[in-house]
Amino acid sequence: MTPLPAFVSYEFADRKELCLALDAPSGRNVMLVPPLFDEMNRMRKMLVDVMRALQTVDISSFLPDLPGCNESPVPLAQVTLTDWQHAVQACAQQHRISHIASFRAGVLTVAAMPDAGHWMLSPVKGAAILRTMMRTRIAADRETGLNTSLSGLAEQAKAEPIELAGNIIGPALFSQLNDAKPPTPKHQRIARLASDNKPADVQIDGSALWLRAEPGDDPAMSCAIAKDIAAWVGQ
Amino acid sequence: MQDKVEITPEAAVRAVMQDILGLSEEQVAEFTAETELFGALPELDSMAVAGLLTELEDRLDIMIDDDEVDGELFETFGNLVAFAEMKVTE
Repeated sequence: MTPLPAFVSYEFADRKELCLALDAPSGRNVMLVPPLFDEMNRMRKMLVDVMRALQTVDISSFLPDLPGCNESPVPLAQVTLTDWQHAVQACAQQHRISHIASFRAGVLTVAAMPDAGHWMLSPVKGAAILRTMMRTRIAADRETGLNTSLSGLAEQAKAEPIELAGNIIGPALFSQLNDAKPPTPKHQRIARLASDNKPADVQIDGSALWLRAEPGDDPAMSCAIAKDIAAWVGQ
Repeated sequence: MQDKVEITPEAAVRAVMQDILGLSEEQVAEFTAETELFGALPELDSMAVAGLLTELEDRLDIMIDDDEVDGELFETFGNLVAFAEMKVTE
């Protein structure tokens, strides 16, 4: 019988955080680090499809919840980017992971592991994620007659937690994300969509599900991602 | 690694529309300067506009201020392309 995905945990800061795991017997383990905020929700189905496809080629995969996200017991407002980096590192150590595939702004959380092998899909800087979230907040404010601005929100975010597109983001996380650029580890492979003009090691046909209004899936793209990750792990 | 490919502002706008609205390359290729956007494309709501602006900034290496964004900008495809062309020459 094919094993089903199951929740395991990893310990970070004296707590247990959940991690979705899909076991394969080979002992080859890949961690999938999800995108941040709304993009994580829009890509979760795709990430689980990638896990299933990896299992068919005998690779185990782990999809951790970042502290403050998904089922995490910690409020997001208390979390920093440094916490995310240490949490992802803890998960990798506890599950003996040497290969990490990170997606979109998830790449910003793997900076504390420069010696691991890194596969990255469409890496993005933190400031871009924040600007989209601030624009969403501005559009929502406008509908209630409030006149907020990018610069006003950025100023407010320095002093107190602010709500952006349903996420309460504390000053430290905002400031760290605003400065965070995708890391450039020694062993990296960058994947992008075929419609993307930025430098890439491989281009994958498919949909930018992380930019869509609603969560969706793209089975062909999930398979293509798993195939490229499997080839890269196998090297 | 394959280098960055330079693209025109118009090509960038088409690629972003394709990615954000989930349209096919063929559908987006049919857009002309007169194609109506906001109000005509149900997928293009204010949330989609937020993502679209950031993607354009990222792909064209530009910064877009709040006060540059108004209803007129998203009236037609031609308006959006003209705006992108203006921004890259700034």
